Amino acid sequence: MEPTILLIVLVCVILGGVLASLGVHLLPVGGAPAAMGTATGIATGAIMLMFGSALTGLFTAATVAMFSNSIVLVALSGAVGAMLMVSIIFLFANVTYIFGAGCVPVSGRVAVDPITKELQTPYKTPQTDGHGLPSVCLISGIIGGFIGGFGGALIYFALINYAKLEYAMAGVLAMGIILANAIIAAYNIRGTIEGFHDPKFRTTPKALLVCFVASLLCGIAIVLALTTGVITGGAV
Amino acid sequence: MGHHMPPPPPEEVVVVVKKWWPPDETRLGIISAVIAVLIVIFPGLPAVIKAIGVIFALVWGADSVRKTSKYGLGTGVPSIGYFAVIGYGMVGAFTGMAFSRYGHLGPVEAGVLVGVLFMAITGYISGILANTPKLIAMKIPRLERGMMELGAAGTLAVLLECSIIAGTTRWEPVLENGINTGVIAVILILSSLAMFHPYNACLGPDEIRERTLKVSVEISGLICIILGIASLVTLGGMATGIQMIIFGVIVWLVFYVSFVRAAIRESHSVTGTGLIKTIE
Repeated sequence: MEPTILLIVLVCVILGGVLASLGVHLLPVGGAPAAMGTATGIATGAIMLMFGSALTGLFTAATVAMFSNSIVLVALSGAVGAMLMVSIIFLFANVTYIFGAGCVPVSGRVAVDPITKELQTPYKTPQTDGHGLPSVCLISGIIGGFIGGFGGALIYFALINYAKLEYAMAGVLAMGIILANAIIAAYNIRGTIEGFHDPKFRTTPKALLVCFVASLLCGIAIVLALTTGVITGGAV
Repeated sequence: MGHHMPPPPPEEVVVVVKKWWPPDETRLGIISAVIAVLIVIFPGLPAVIKAIGVIFALVWGADSVRKTSKYGLGTGVPSIGYFAVIGYGMVGAFTGMAFSRYGHLGPVEAGVLVGVLFMAITGYISGILANTPKLIAMKIPRLERGMMELGAAGTLAVLLECSIIAGTTRWEPVLENGINTGVIAVILILSSLAMFHPYNACLGPDEIRERTLKVSVEISGLICIILGIASLVTLGGMATGIQMIIFGVIVWLVFYVSFVRAAIRESHSVTGTGLIKTIE
């Protein structure tokens, strides 16, 4: 395979991995405390949230990739799919928190919502870290889904159109690279994060650096495999 | 007042019985790695022997998940299993299968080990970076080794399972029988389940390593049953499929019964001593 194509694949893998890591930092992740309604965010780990949304993004991206050769269109359709999944999760989480548990969506990290300027602290139950998903977390999470889905679809597009892999293989590999980067981001956020307004968000560049190295190594593994000439698929 | 002094309680004698199973973490790692590597480089072996390799690779992975997650990963326990198999394991298996035609020596195909080695190095480097105080600063002791083992064990498990389905680790047959049929999805999810579920289900103050690892072997039995059903229709063939199903049922039954018995026996040490009191 030509060196330029291998370089493009490597760049797309690195870019996709780093974007997935950035997306994880923007998602409101509540972890175990959120399952009891004592923390803001979705009651699961960061990786599950990113995995679920990026996988939906891959489905939409794969559908569009069947009849389009435009990298921007495929990547954007992946982003839209991931955004959609994240929004549905948020909607149902909020319905459960508000009408099931009976708590007000409120941020535990900021006193005033940076977007809607609504007061947060008076509505927060003492000794908890917020509940549900207030507006700022919702917007931040949707941006996170967009970025993560965009990254995943970018890897998928590079693998089927430049590396000429089969659809199934490209999807599985894109999923793997997203997961490997998401866990490094999850190590960095340590359990819970609310979004871009969270003080923990300032540590993002460190995780992005580590993700760059991890994606580079994964990318080198894929490029090495492609140089053997065994990998044939003829997808497009 | 005939104050009768009660006799002093006999000193507790702690008898440490050195059991051969399970070996300690380092030994289990070395034994599993050697067995799994030896089985993966002989693609001509029968499927049941490859299944034994799968069991060892997954037990090794489950042990690594256990020792990495002991320091409070919480909701991150399932994630680390997914990461080992679907993340690094899949990328490593892809690289290994691309290199599988190199390094031939009779029945030995040593080329697949390129993927295993590469993912072990990748895991080690990402472990170092995650533990570096200036970067992520996880402060988990031996995270480097844990990540390295997870990468290697995940790759070995995926390679061995693809090898059971396709009868070889070459790219074309695996693509045709394992990946395009969709069996790969079952392989990936069930293998990560065998790695993270034992510790995720058993974690707590009275978690015992031997009991936890039994769950991993039990799930490996389920994987063998499903791989057997899949090989009925793929390149593995009817005979291989039936052998795998029988082997899987035996492994699952033996270890499930053994796990439930261990759980019942060891729960007595909690309820019998009254450590957990009910509110009166």
